[in-house]
Amino acid sequence: MTQNIDVVLSDTKPTLPPLSRRNFLQLAGLAGTAGAAALTGCHGKTAGGTGWMPDQYNDAGTFPVHSRGRVPIDVINPSICRDDRKCILCGQCADVCNNAEAVMGHYELPLINDIPCVHCGQCTLWCPSGAITEVDDTDKVQSAIDNPDLTVIAHTAPSTRIGLGEEFGLPPGTNVEGKQVAALKALGFDTVFDTNFTADLTITEEATELVHRITGEKKAPLPQFTSCCPGWVKFCEYFYADLIANLSSAKSPIGMIGPMIKTYYAEKAKLDPKKIVVVGVMPCTAKKYEAARPEMNSVGRYLKDPSIRDNDVIITTRELARFIKKRNVDWEKLDPKTLYDKLLSAYSGGGAIFGATGGVMEAAVRSAYFYITKQNPPKEFLNMQPIRGLNGVKEDKFKLPVAGKETEVRIAVVTGLANAHVVLDQVREDVKSGTKEPRWHFIEFMACPGGCIAGGGQPKTSLPPSDSVRKARTGAIYSIDERMTLRLCHENPEIVAIYKDFLGEPCSEKSEELLHTTYFDKSNLLVAKKKA
Amino acid sequence: MKGVLVDLTKCIGCGSCSVACKLYNDNKWVEDRAETGGPRAQLCDANWTVVRQVKLDKDLNALPLSEKKVDAVSGATDSSNQVWRFVKTQCFHCAEPACVASCFAKALQKDENGATVYYPNSCVGCRYCMLACPFHTPKFEWEKPLPRITKCMFCSGRLKKGESPACVSVCPTNVMKYGDRDELLQEAKQIIAKSSGRYVEHVYGEEEVGGTAWIYISDVPFEQLGFRVMEPKNPNSYPLPRKALPHWTEPYMHWTPILGGIWGVVLAGLYIITRRNKVAAEKNASSQPAANG
Repeated sequence: MTQNIDVVLSDTKPTLPPLSRRNFLQLAGLAGTAGAAALTGCHGKTAGGTGWMPDQYNDAGTFPVHSRGRVPIDVINPSICRDDRKCILCGQCADVCNNAEAVMGHYELPLINDIPCVHCGQCTLWCPSGAITEVDDTDKVQSAIDNPDLTVIAHTAPSTRIGLGEEFGLPPGTNVEGKQVAALKALGFDTVFDTNFTADLTITEEATELVHRITGEKKAPLPQFTSCCPGWVKFCEYFYADLIANLSSAKSPIGMIGPMIKTYYAEKAKLDPKKIVVVGVMPCTAKKYEAARPEMNSVGRYLKDPSIRDNDVIITTRELARFIKKRNVDWEKLDPKTLYDKLLSAYSGGGAIFGATGGVMEAAVRSAYFYITKQNPPKEFLNMQPIRGLNGVKEDKFKLPVAGKETEVRIAVVTGLANAHVVLDQVREDVKSGTKEPRWHFIEFMACPGGCIAGGGQPKTSLPPSDSVRKARTGAIYSIDERMTLRLCHENPEIVAIYKDFLGEPCSEKSEELLHTTYFDKSNLLVAKKKA
Repeated sequence: MKGVLVDLTKCIGCGSCSVACKLYNDNKWVEDRAETGGPRAQLCDANWTVVRQVKLDKDLNALPLSEKKVDAVSGATDSSNQVWRFVKTQCFHCAEPACVASCFAKALQKDENGATVYYPNSCVGCRYCMLACPFHTPKFEWEKPLPRITKCMFCSGRLKKGESPACVSVCPTNVMKYGDRDELLQEAKQIIAKSSGRYVEHVYGEEEVGGTAWIYISDVPFEQLGFRVMEPKNPNSYPLPRKALPHWTEPYMHWTPILGGIWGVVLAGLYIITRRNKVAAEKNASSQPAANG
C-alpha cells in the first residue's frame, strides 16, 4: 500500500518550483500589505457625513425649511442657558419665540450689541431634548442655607403651588400649597412667605395708580399697562419704548416683597437686612432677570447700602422640584396643612388669581371699583368671564361713577407677546392720531400664553405645552378664589396692617420709594421690524 | 463650481450651523476643546465650523478679548458702546487649494462640486496641508493614536444629493445661501451696489488666494473681523496673496516628475556602464590566473 503511494508521488512532476524561504517571505509581505490595505479600507471614502440631520433639512434644493435653526442665547443671559450637546435643531424654540412671543425675527439685522431676549422661558418648555433650561441657581440657595449667619426667607408665587405637584406625579391643576411650604421648611428655609400677599399689595398700588390716572391726579397717559410680568416689561422697553409712560410704575409682587421683608419684617423680627437672603420661588425664568435688573435694589437705596438687593435669588418651580428630589425630601410625608409664616402671607382671592391670564386685571378692577366708589364691587366683578380663558386678546367694559359722572371703563387682557403687537400698534396709532378718549383704560399683558400658570419655569408638559394642561391649572387658580371669603385685595388684613404700621397709604411717598420703579428705554439695543 | 454666499450682517450668533455640522458629521462634543461660539470660538479637530463673536468699538475697530465685568450682579459687561458681529468660520474651499497641491498622497482633492475633500485612508499624516493652508483651516487629531487631518468637507455627500450643506440648511436668518458660485458672486455685488454704502465694497473670497467657493459680504471691514486680508492696515499682519498659492510653486514644482524621470535614466545609464566595466574586468581577471597557473 505505502509503496504504491510512493510510486505515484515520485511519478508526478512538480508544477511549481519549490518555495524558497526568500520567496515565502516576499509573498507573506505582499499578502500582509494587501490585508492591511483592505482593513484600513484603501478606497475612496471621504471624511465626515456619518451622522444624521433632522428630516426637515434633508431635501434637495435650497428652499428654506419652514421650521429651522434655534434661538440665540447669550452666555450671560441670567434666565436661560443651553447645552449644545443636547440640541437637535428641531426648530421649536425659534418657532415659539417668533410666533408666540414675537421676539426672534421681529428685529432688523444686523444686531447692535445685544441678543434680544425677554427671558420668558417658553423655549425651555418647548425644547423636546432638554437642551434649553433655566439657569440653575439652587446651589446659591444651598450655600445660603448652609451659612448659619444668614436668614433665608422664601416666598412663593401664586402659580407654583399649582404646578409643583406635577413634578411629583400629581395631575395638572393639583393645589399643593401646604406641601410646598412644608417642603421649603424641610429644605432649611427659615421663613416662608407668600408672594400672593404682595400680589394684593401690587393691586392696591396699581389700582390706586389707575384711579389717579383716570381722575387726572397723576399726570400719566391712559391706557395704563400692568407691569408685573418682567418679560412683557422688557418687551415694552425694547419694542414700544415710546409707551413706557403707560406702564404702571408699581413693581411686580416680587419687587415688593423683597423690600417688605428687608424693612418691615426685618424691623419686626429684629433681623439685620444685610443678613437676610430672599429667595423667590417663581413659575418664571424672567423673574431671574427682573431680580438682577440694576435698579431692583430699592431696599438698598432706602437703607443707604446699594449692595442690598430686593431679591437675592430666584428659583423656578422646576428648580424647586429638583432641589426637593436632590435633598431626598419625602414628598409623601410632607404635611399638606402646613401654613405660611405670619405677617407677609395672608392673601385674598384677588391675589391668588394673579397666576392666570386676566387675573391681575380682575383683581385690579375689583379694588379700583372700591377706590372710586368707596364701596365694594357687586357680584359680577367676582367672576369676570369675558376676561378669563385662553384667548389671546380679551376685552370688557363696565360703567363706574368717576367724580360723580358715569364713566365707561374699557379694559383689555393680552396673553402671549405676539398678541401684544396687535394691541400696542393700535394704542400707538391712537396716540399718533391724538384721540382724546382712550380706546382702553387699562391693559394687562402677560408674556406667556395662559399667564404665569404656563410660565417658562413651570413643569414641562407633553409637547408642545397643551391647552388642556393650561386649562386645568387655570381652573385650580380660580377655584382658590371661589372658595375664599376674602376676595378683595384691599381688604386683606395684613395689607391693611402694613399700610397702617409702615407704608401710610397706597402711592404714598414711602410706597413710591419702596414699591414703585422706573423703566428704561431699550430701543437703542435693537431696531424693531416695521410692519409690512 | 458651487459656492456659498455668507452675509455677515444677518448672523445673530445662535450657533445652529455649528450644531448642524456636529450632527451631520457625527463630530463629538469634546470637553476641553475650544468653544464653537462666543468671542473665543476657534476651529479645532472637533469643531469644523464655529461662529466667532467679534466685539467692536463704535468706529468698528476690534476690541481686545479681555473685558471687565461691569455689573457684578448680572455679570453683564458694559456693551453700550459696542457693536457686535458674528463670523461664521469654516474651510473656504479655495478654487485652487494649497492643501491639495501640497498633498503628495492625494488625500486632499477637489470634487466635482468644488468641495475640497479629505480621504483619510490615503493620508500619511505628514501635515503639509496644515502648513500650506493660508487660513490655518486643517487641524490635526493630536490626541489620537492614529490621528487624521480634520476640516470642513462642504458636506460633499449632501451636495452630491443636491442638498445644501448642513450649516446652510439650518440657518434661521438666511445668513448663508448655497448655489452656483458665479451667480452668488454677481448677487453679492448687486447686494453691495444696492445697499448704498452699508456694505464694505468688497466680496471677500472673490480674488483672495485666487478665489474661494465660500464668499463673504460684510458691513464691517474684514480685517477687523479677524479675516486675513490682501492689503492689511495692521503693519504686523502678513498680506494674503492674490494669486492662488499653487501658482507660486507650480513653475518649478512641475519639473519634479520630469527631473525624476531624467534622474532615473541617468542612474540607469550609470548602472549599465558600471556593469559593463565590471563584466569586462571580471573577464580579464578570469583569463589572467590561467596564464599564471
